Amino acid sequence: MTDPTQPMLLFDGACSVCDRIGHWVQKAAHRRAGTPRLEARAIGNDPAELRTLNAKLDIWDAYATIHLLMPDGSMKTGGEAVAEVLRRLPATRWFAWCFAISLFGFKPFQQLLNLGYTILDDVRPIFGCSSCGVERAWVKPITRFITWIKSRSSKSAPRASTPHFSQVAAPALKLAAAGASNTKGG
Amino acid sequence: MNHRAAGSIDRIATLTGDTFNTNVIKGVGPIAVEFMSYGCGYCRAVEPFLQQVAETLEGKEQLFRVNIDADPELSAGFEVQGTPTFIMFSGGREVGRVEGIQPTLAGVMAVVTQPFNIQY
Repeated sequence: MTDPTQPMLLFDGACSVCDRIGHWVQKAAHRRAGTPRLEARAIGNDPAELRTLNAKLDIWDAYATIHLLMPDGSMKTGGEAVAEVLRRLPATRWFAWCFAISLFGFKPFQQLLNLGYTILDDVRPIFGCSSCGVERAWVKPITRFITWIKSRSSKSAPRASTPHFSQVAAPALKLAAAGASNTKGG
Repeated sequence: MNHRAAGSIDRIATLTGDTFNTNVIKGVGPIAVEFMSYGCGYCRAVEPFLQQVAETLEGKEQLFRVNIDADPELSAGFEVQGTPTFIMFSGGREVGRVEGIQPTLAGVMAVVTQPFNIQY
């Protein structure tokens, strides 16, 4: 049961990296006795259900960037969301104060965190994430290399769910010819 | 990347197992259905272009989406192997299928209009 008075972290349950981090946050938030200062859950696949949490929340945006829904109706995203999560977890709040340090309006530690988040966001496909979007140009050679290594080590790994074509193969336009033989499900 | 401006209309209706027959199999005119998943990065990349295409083709062609996570039977029935898969229908029959679409406006437009020779 979620507590509406606490912020809620939404994580991409289809991405193995995000899923692990999300579950770690969930565990860490509930580790100590008393009311946890944070809730965490996977985004899921129902845009209407997500809008019940926050009317402004778009499911596509939720999958694109990490979102933290605040009890006052506001939302924190990306590095700002990560900083707020770290501030609220008992295990990390001792150092998370540094993200609020401001020098002439510039927050150096927050900027570093934002950069770290952006890099992690970019490299997620390397870890086999099929929900992380189109790879950045600088990540593509690394992903190809890892895919090549994997294909050499295990030729026939079973697929658990419907693959996303971005990860299966380069997108290809294969327009099926019209015809009765092509009709399915009708 | 913004997929839709805040508060703007979603121009693509989501079909379920209950509404698919009425809208597609018994539907009139050219129809394109995107079999997608919200957790699919490539579907996310295609979405803003698809919204633009839906706006441009309003009145000429109907665009729908099927969320394969919510309706796995429907996607299995059409032998959808991955997302995004676009299936074009006319008179209730499949007339074209494209897998792994290019996330560009021209790419999306070409895919959903090519079987119908629609001028836009």
